[in-house]
Amino acid sequence: MKDIKIKVKDLSLYYGEKKALNEITMDIPANKVTALIGPSGCGKSTFLRCINRMNDLIPKVSITGEMLVEDIDIYDKNVDVVNIRKKIGMVFQKSNPFPKSIYENIAYGPRINGINDKTQLDEIVEKSLRQAAIWDELKDRLDDSALGLSGGQQQRLCIGRTLAVSPDIILMDEPASALDPISTSKIEELIHELKEQYTIIIVTHNMQQAARTSDHTAFFYMGNLIEMGKTNSIFTKPLQKQTEDYITGRFG
Amino acid sequence: MGTHFEIELANLKNIIKKIGKLAEGQVSEAVKILLQEPEAVEGKVIKKTEDKIDKLDVKIDGICQSIFALKQPVASDLRFIMSAMQISNEIERIGDLSISIVKKSKSIKEKHDLIEKFDIADIARLVESITAKTNECFIAQDGNATGEILVLNRDIKNNCEDAIHEIINEMKVNSKAVVSGTNLVIVLKHLERISEHCTNIAEYVYFTVNAKIIKHDKLDDILPGK
Repeated sequence: MKDIKIKVKDLSLYYGEKKALNEITMDIPANKVTALIGPSGCGKSTFLRCINRMNDLIPKVSITGEMLVEDIDIYDKNVDVVNIRKKIGMVFQKSNPFPKSIYENIAYGPRINGINDKTQLDEIVEKSLRQAAIWDELKDRLDDSALGLSGGQQQRLCIGRTLAVSPDIILMDEPASALDPISTSKIEELIHELKEQYTIIIVTHNMQQAARTSDHTAFFYMGNLIEMGKTNSIFTKPLQKQTEDYITGRFG
Repeated sequence: MGTHFEIELANLKNIIKKIGKLAEGQVSEAVKILLQEPEAVEGKVIKKTEDKIDKLDVKIDGICQSIFALKQPVASDLRFIMSAMQISNEIERIGDLSISIVKKSKSIKEKHDLIEKFDIADIARLVESITAKTNECFIAQDGNATGEILVLNRDIKNNCEDAIHEIINEMKVNSKAVVSGTNLVIVLKHLERISEHCTNIAEYVYFTVNAKIIKHDKLDDILPGK
């Protein structure tokens, strides 16, 4: 189906013997924000990292089942993992700009992809920073070090850096958990604007953030997907008691 | 986890229980005065209770506002708080209507004869009963009791309509009955409204328990087994 971007079928992940994800099956819709919620250790970040094969980097990890991104199984042997990560960008909890200028942070990805034309790079930098809602703040200091920016600015720069390589999907692992409320609201507003062009999957511990930013919410517990549905339904009338207990803070 | 919040919710529920019981008492007193029963309390006591109801109504609004602002309730908690605000408002209206019944009752002459003639006592007892059942329904958060309350409301409504029809007919042929008859019609309308408010409360309880809004549904769709 065209409006399903990612189709997950019976996906299980093992750290050695330990099963961290248990036969996850879900459809992630295109151009929507999907929030993954659940207590620490429930598997939500592990699941997020499966989507761009970040878990490949961890020793002793094995994965069964399918992860179809636009009908292509990204765990197929013939799939180029670099290409996958180009299509699927990621933003982390802690902003991690390169120790380079603001301009170079954005231009880095496109350059690696073979774009060296200065005019073209200038355009990409401006477009990416505009999309990341930070162009007006940074346009006069593009040559300054990215490390001199505030935490909130650094995080939006990192989102801009992700956008510079034109991904289809953006994964966000607690992108605002280290930010103050103003920066958090800027990131949330940005997520809202970006979903028109990108499919966004966000892991958050902040229940209100999941409620505010996402269209769909998936609740994970102990490696299982307990419930997935429209965010409005999950936060007003969840079907599963475990979901109700978790979102109302009565867990355990 | 959630214990502090659960205590807050329990406290809110207790206050609603309290305001509900006060309103139930007001309805009973209004019925006693209407039916000229000897043990009716003085008007002062009714006024004092009314003040208590008003204060609790405002208090409930304040508590709900704080919970919305500070706790951001979701799911069943959200439904409970939403309902709490509405229920408090409905109860306050029941209190007001009881006062109106007391006032109107005093201006009905030959009350005894009229009440007997038009079976007003039966209707008044049913309204007392629906008020008590509604309180029980809220206290037990019993969504299943909603159907019974809705049926009772339908009966009260029908009985009121019949009685009003008869009173109007009486007034047509007996001009001396017009003043008292009109007042009695107003009293019946107040009783009917009390029953409606009870129904609304029962519907909010249903919403809290079942996450389904039924306030504009047909009775047949709501009753169990349908």
